[in-house]
Amino acid sequence: MKPTLGNPFNRRALLRGTGVALAIPWLHSHREAWGNAPASSPLRTAFIYFPNGVWEKDWVPTATGSDYALSPSLTPLADVKDDVIVLSGLDKKHSHGGDGHYAKTANFLTGMPVTKTTGKDISSGGISIDQWIAQSLRGETPLPSLELGTEPVISGIDSNVGYTRLYGSHISWQSAERPVAKEINPRLVYERLFGKGWSASSEQAESYRNLLDYVLEDAKSLRMRLGRDDQFKMDEFLDSVRSVEQRIEHAVRHPEREPAPGDEHLAMEKVPAGVPRDFRDHIAVMLDLMVLAFQSDATRVCSLMFANDVSGRNFSFLDGVSGSHHELSHHENKEEKIDQYQRINRWHVEQFARFLSRLKSISEGDGTLLDRCMIVFGSSMSDGNRHDPDNLPILLGGKGGGALKAGQHVAFEGMVPLCNLYLTMLRAMGMNASQFGDSTGILPEILV
Amino acid sequence: MAKVFTCRLLCCVVFVGTLSGGMVAVGDEEQAAWEQWGKRYEEKILPIIRAKCLECHQGESPDGEFDLSKFPDGTTAVAAMDTWERVARRVRLNEMPPQGSPGLTDPEKGAFHRWVDSRPNQDLCHQLASDETQSWYRGHVMSRRLTRYEYARAIRDLTGFEADDLELPPSDGAGGLGFDTVGDALFTSPIHLEAYLRAATSAIARVYDSAPALTPESLNLVLQDRQAALTFFPVQEEQNTEPKTAELEAARRTIAAFARRAWRRPVLPEELERLMQLHQREVVNAGKDWLQSLRAPLQAILVSPNFLFLVEPEPQTAGVQRLDQHQFATRIALLLWSSVPDEELLELADRGELFDESIIRQQIQRMLGDRRSRALGENFGLQWLSLRDWRSIQLDPSIFPEFSIHLMEDSIEETILTIASVFREGRPPTELLSSETVWVNARLAKHYELNNADVVGWQKLPVGDSRRGGVLTMASVLMKSSFPRRTSPVLRGRWILEDVLGDKVPPPPPNVPTLDESKETASAKTLRERLELHRTQPDCASCHQRMDPLGFALENFDALGRFRMDDDGNPIDAKGVLPSGEAFDGPDELKETLMRRHEEFQKHFVRKLVGYALGRDLNKFDQCVIDRSLDRMKEGAGADAILEEIIFSYPFQHRYYNPARSSP
Repeated sequence: MKPTLGNPFNRRALLRGTGVALAIPWLHSHREAWGNAPASSPLRTAFIYFPNGVWEKDWVPTATGSDYALSPSLTPLADVKDDVIVLSGLDKKHSHGGDGHYAKTANFLTGMPVTKTTGKDISSGGISIDQWIAQSLRGETPLPSLELGTEPVISGIDSNVGYTRLYGSHISWQSAERPVAKEINPRLVYERLFGKGWSASSEQAESYRNLLDYVLEDAKSLRMRLGRDDQFKMDEFLDSVRSVEQRIEHAVRHPEREPAPGDEHLAMEKVPAGVPRDFRDHIAVMLDLMVLAFQSDATRVCSLMFANDVSGRNFSFLDGVSGSHHELSHHENKEEKIDQYQRINRWHVEQFARFLSRLKSISEGDGTLLDRCMIVFGSSMSDGNRHDPDNLPILLGGKGGGALKAGQHVAFEGMVPLCNLYLTMLRAMGMNASQFGDSTGILPEILV
Repeated sequence: MAKVFTCRLLCCVVFVGTLSGGMVAVGDEEQAAWEQWGKRYEEKILPIIRAKCLECHQGESPDGEFDLSKFPDGTTAVAAMDTWERVARRVRLNEMPPQGSPGLTDPEKGAFHRWVDSRPNQDLCHQLASDETQSWYRGHVMSRRLTRYEYARAIRDLTGFEADDLELPPSDGAGGLGFDTVGDALFTSPIHLEAYLRAATSAIARVYDSAPALTPESLNLVLQDRQAALTFFPVQEEQNTEPKTAELEAARRTIAAFARRAWRRPVLPEELERLMQLHQREVVNAGKDWLQSLRAPLQAILVSPNFLFLVEPEPQTAGVQRLDQHQFATRIALLLWSSVPDEELLELADRGELFDESIIRQQIQRMLGDRRSRALGENFGLQWLSLRDWRSIQLDPSIFPEFSIHLMEDSIEETILTIASVFREGRPPTELLSSETVWVNARLAKHYELNNADVVGWQKLPVGDSRRGGVLTMASVLMKSSFPRRTSPVLRGRWILEDVLGDKVPPPPPNVPTLDESKETASAKTLRERLELHRTQPDCASCHQRMDPLGFALENFDALGRFRMDDDGNPIDAKGVLPSGEAFDGPDELKETLMRRHEEFQKHFVRKLVGYALGRDLNKFDQCVIDRSLDRMKEGAGADAILEEIIFSYPFQHRYYNPARSSP
């Protein structure tokens, strides 16, 4: 296998290439469908995870309410402060046991207990919030959801703590027992979203459709001959076949939603493929793709892992930082390490702020795309040195279509489950859910 | 038959010997175990039988002609031996006690199964974990999809062309003993399906695009050159045949042959018919010629679950059964090649000759000699040494400007070749601990300060001293176990303990004050001094006194794996003393020490290989194949002997089938 590091990835070309071409079909189809009333344009949600926690003293603002000063780590939010809610004091009680990392990451979006196993009976305790939303929106968009990341699944098991490391690589769970694989290659994400293989008229799509028909029948007949345990595996396969089928069917039913192939669009396809060598480029392009996905309404739900849990990525590219993320998160309360840890935290917030700004720069209806978004940004532990699953660092960007009281810091006291936030988001989307994960209620403080 | 018998006996002796520490006379030990078992029957089981079973199962005409009153004490229960396995089976299936009678409570069932399972001197060599043999058994999935690696290898061997990285499905997580061959940890997401469609389309397109002319002959020349399984059958126009009929026949034969190779078994007529329909659709609807129209069925063969999944369909009856010949062939090919079987293996399966011991032996040697056995280094080896994620190793270029993708690639290639060659050349696995040769290319030879003047491509060089040779001193491992800016004796020591010796090193206990908070650390300057302070705390010492000395012995290698005598002007102190008192100084003495503990290493290595081959966690029934392999090592056999023992073993040749669910 050839390494993919050598390819210069021209992100600018991507943005130039797609932004224009994609904006057109969006305006075209949805203006007509929804007129100009923003209330009817769809809400988008994203869940962005970063590993290894934060240095809380520089993260949590000292004051609460709308008139609070940004903490040192949150200063990059200055331009979007009114579009963000800082949530402190949310907890994940089902991560109190287990190990330092894996039992905290896999349930970041499920809130439920992670089964301790090196393989057998893998379970994140429940469906993740992004997949819950995706399943209730199924059929509305070409893709029910996007799951993104930057690193391959961590291989191996941790035989000491008794967990398979794949837990540390998955936050999206279609069901408690079934993690959703994430795409780490920006080019493939682009192809998923806008590739001509999926457009209704292409020969490729026709060929795929025939193949899928064939495979579906094969899988069904094979399933009948399998034992009980093996049938589960074939069910997974069948579900995936159907999901890809729906992608193509959607294109057939809604030809107007397909991106118009313009010259710029073709230019994108010449962009060298591969994973960007520079981590900063990689994150930037992944976030850009999420903007494109939302803007074009290719999907309304995304999850993104900045990195896998325990990521040892070297952050020496930052001024004043020399070392890897996980290593520095174990700062041992040494000032010099804390300073570097905090710089890494702030860099993450910068990326989030830039993402929000881009969403804000795109108008939709009477407002901006960001107004129609709810973007959760956070980690599955607070202080990385202590692996603490409570008082989680959580930011919520966007106005949720006017449902959210953005521009404030809310500090929760006592045990308040992180899942209460997820439940509140479902309510803001008008979804009829009485409970999610370990939720005990909604967070009225963040609603208008 | 006689042979099997001797072996059974031998294995039992070995097993009991292991339990007893090998010192107590087997007869006495066995006798005591049986008495113990009988005693537990009287205490725990007899009351249950009296309360719940005897009402029906006694007297002149006991139900099922099974009289449980014949076992009123331990002695009679022991004498009944296998009877209890059958009873356990009926109980497990909830057949007994029958509906309408007072059933067994869960604790009663548990007590019963635990007792049956604890029967001494079980013949572990000819059993499998199943509902019948283990009370905690909950089913082992063997039907799984191919891993990303296996998929890539299979596409290569079937079509003759490597798949592009970009086309491949996403990477896989691991389970069991830490390998991605574990079905429980392999999931299928929509992006897998998209990848399968994409890759199958490109794989077939590559074949078509590679031939100078679009004729079967021209295509076959390319395919044969690349040792592909795919072959196009030419149109044979005989007298009285319509040209169209002859083309159809050529298409049919091409499809049938390819499907057989990709699906690793004979293709059923109705399956062939469905593939032919795809072909006909292209011919009739799209008006393409017969050869172009073959693209669709060939792609379909590669996206079918018959290719993507290791399917071992349910036989008529549930229970433990031997695999059929073709399933067995596939398991062998996946173990040795991480790919599909080749023609020779399939033909043996077709003829039903594959279970013959001498034929298996021949095939293993033949397959190890094939280039595809590289997979044992690349797939098994890299996962065993925790190097699968090597692309994420990043040393800080401001400190190590020599760190490059070439260095990474070279050092990984060295690892792959070293591990694969132990199997291929039948060398003892201990050569992985300490060896007098290393695999290098010219660049790596320079990195290792070996004379690289005559090095062409990759070759084995003698090292001259024992600084290099074996996995401990490979650049790949030394880089992997360093921090971006410095070496880490702790990480290196832990790596040796866990990956080489199979020890466990628990994570640091919570709330231990870190050494930097204590006052004494101010005076400790070097890493060694700081770590030595660390070890004065009992909580830390229990693990660090095992890890750190091993890691310090490798301090002669910097984070890039280069040999050094000093670090920034400070002379290297590579001494270490283990809690056992074993002392060493530098890598060569470390290797000597580890060679004295080679049994630990061999046991770990064998366990890992068995876990990789079986794709699951191990249980007591796998102990037999481990013991046999270790015996072969003692006799001086090479690593290939472990593969033989695995392939001969009962767990590898059998699987347990759950009853299929009747409703779809």
